Amino acid sequence: MSSLSIIWTLAQKELRDALRNRWFVLYTVAFAALALAFSYLSLAGAGIAGFAGFGRTAASLINLVLLIIPLMALTIGAQSISSELERGTMSYLLAQPIGRVEVFLGKYLGLALSLLASLALGFGISGVVMVLSGSGAADPSAYITLVALAYLLSLAMLSVGFLISALTRKASVSVGIGLFLWLGFVFLGDLGMMGTSMAMKMPIGSLFAMSLTNPSQVFKMAAILNINATLDILGPAGVYAVHHYGQSLLAIFLATLALWAVVPAALAYARFANRGDL
Amino acid sequence: MLSFALIAAILAIFPFAAAQPFDLQAALAGAQAGDTIVVPAGNYAGPLVIDTPVTLIGAPGERPVIDAGGQGRVITINAPDVTIRGFDIRGSGASLDREDSGITSLAARTTVEDNHLEDVLFGIYLQNAPDSIVRGNTVVGKPLEMGVRGDGLRLWYSAGSLVEGNRVHDSRDMIVWYSPDSVIRGNTVERSRYGLHFMVNENVLIEENILRDNSVGIYLMYGDGYTVRNNLLFNNRGQSGYGLGIKDVDNAVVEGNYFVANRVGIYNDHSPLAPGATTRTEDNLFAYNDIALWMLPLVEHNTIAGNVFQENGEQVALAGEGVLHNNSWSEAGRGNYWSDYAGYDANGDAVGDVPYVAQSLYEDLLAKNPELRLFQLSPATDAIDLAARAFPLFQPRPKMADEHPLMAPPALPTVPGLAPPPLAANLAVAAGMLLLAGLLLVLGTRRSWRNGI
Repeated sequence: MSSLSIIWTLAQKELRDALRNRWFVLYTVAFAALALAFSYLSLAGAGIAGFAGFGRTAASLINLVLLIIPLMALTIGAQSISSELERGTMSYLLAQPIGRVEVFLGKYLGLALSLLASLALGFGISGVVMVLSGSGAADPSAYITLVALAYLLSLAMLSVGFLISALTRKASVSVGIGLFLWLGFVFLGDLGMMGTSMAMKMPIGSLFAMSLTNPSQVFKMAAILNINATLDILGPAGVYAVHHYGQSLLAIFLATLALWAVVPAALAYARFANRGDL
Repeated sequence: MLSFALIAAILAIFPFAAAQPFDLQAALAGAQAGDTIVVPAGNYAGPLVIDTPVTLIGAPGERPVIDAGGQGRVITINAPDVTIRGFDIRGSGASLDREDSGITSLAARTTVEDNHLEDVLFGIYLQNAPDSIVRGNTVVGKPLEMGVRGDGLRLWYSAGSLVEGNRVHDSRDMIVWYSPDSVIRGNTVERSRYGLHFMVNENVLIEENILRDNSVGIYLMYGDGYTVRNNLLFNNRGQSGYGLGIKDVDNAVVEGNYFVANRVGIYNDHSPLAPGATTRTEDNLFAYNDIALWMLPLVEHNTIAGNVFQENGEQVALAGEGVLHNNSWSEAGRGNYWSDYAGYDANGDAVGDVPYVAQSLYEDLLAKNPELRLFQLSPATDAIDLAARAFPLFQPRPKMADEHPLMAPPALPTVPGLAPPPLAANLAVAAGMLLLAGLLLVLGTRRSWRNGI
């Protein structure tokens, strides 16, 4: 078999496994249900207003993505390698005439496709509800871009999860670390930055630069930029960013997210390829 | 009207009259006061200067063009009681100093109706032209940087004017200076700087206008007795823009408007100013704005009742530190509807039994450290408010309290609407995503055809 077809076969197996993974199914259902609920709430708003702002529904969806997508991607990424090590299936897999690079890429591709399915389901359902409630986007490509950005965030978090998984032996440990990192990306990081900014009276330029270290923040800013074409909802620092970086701002966001997707995955592979304990 | 019919009939009987090149300048020069000149289709060179009270009409359906070729004003009106109707007017100069315009009127009782103005710096400029009517015109600005564009429509010392059913887009401002007792009704202003800007006016009625995608929807600066009624203010999001800004204005009445998806719904900067004056904000909808109501902490004597506050990022915010005093958030036992009200109505009178209190530690932090707005929408901001509720020690002072919050949103007046979003394309996008999910599901469950792993 060529290595591409090996990767594809492994990816398919990973996709099948994801559907049997209770955590993955739970997150998917939770995401879809909450996305549905948020867009339904915008329908309730439409009853009052005759308007259901796409912007406002999208803002709720951004909030939801920030909360759930990192959790989902980090947990399944963290389980990826360590759980197979723990069960001993990894040794069996590596005893086959296939290379570690194929195993790694197959796993990554499979989980990335599972995440894509999960996101497409949630956003698809809420998209239908938004259309029916008359709060669809004035420009449909805005919605596609929102989903694409959410997917990029999930890939970044998946890579971080893979890195954790490559560094640990037990699934429980890697999932624990993953949950702790989730807390960091979603709550502690932002709270810390807010505190630092207040305590040190940071200039807004530095505050903005610091916020670029958190991929969740980067996703959020890119998503708002996509919907509003400005960042003035984010106050002085947002206005500063648009003025200072102008047209290249979106490119900066995308590059940052892409770095978060590529670098941890590369590190994870480097560790996985050189591990002696497999 | 009679003379109009007569001339139209003459034109119809003698077709050669239309075939001959019509000399507009000569017709104007020879016109007597009260004449009606019907202009057939054609391209006429500006500038046109009207010194006699005449009615100038583009032949129905023919829309003759008056083009100044990019120099100066296209039409200047020096005589009272002039009517200009049914022309395409284009090609003014681009000098802000000379205030190059499509139509400038310097005399009373001008009527400008059903014209299309394009590639003009200023559109229609009423300069000392009281009791004029500007109705049903379209003004499209020159494609310049915002700062060097002219005003789509400017009223200057033109009291008692009526501006109705005009459409202005890609211009700078629609601005009304020193023009008391004017009526601005049913206009649409899009993609401009100030949708409607009022400087020092009294008793002006602003109703049923659509202001969308501008930097500022409506700005009232100085004056007394503005009524802002049943307008739609949508997506006005300039960097320091508002749906409606009210600065140093007395006795403004803001009622039945829809403020939707603006950066700020209403910004109140010291209105009312005079002792004994008030500002009334009633029966408006505030929905999906970043901030619904933004007030300076010293603003007093506002009555805010019967409004719907639906899912705004911040319902009430202060521009600075402090709390609001001496404002009424209800009238005759009837407050406002707040979508985030968490109280109850045990006695069933449709009014909540506990006050609605605008109190949020995160919003309080924002008022003191505006740069923290960078973390807007982040789950961490909700965590801060949750912590403040759990440990009331950290809870800030309430910004305001509505003692009689409504349990259900009241019925609101209708305002002019917007085109709905594209249904089919959005549905296709959503369906495509579901299809993708299904496809991946099939890929995952289908048995591999290879004897693989």
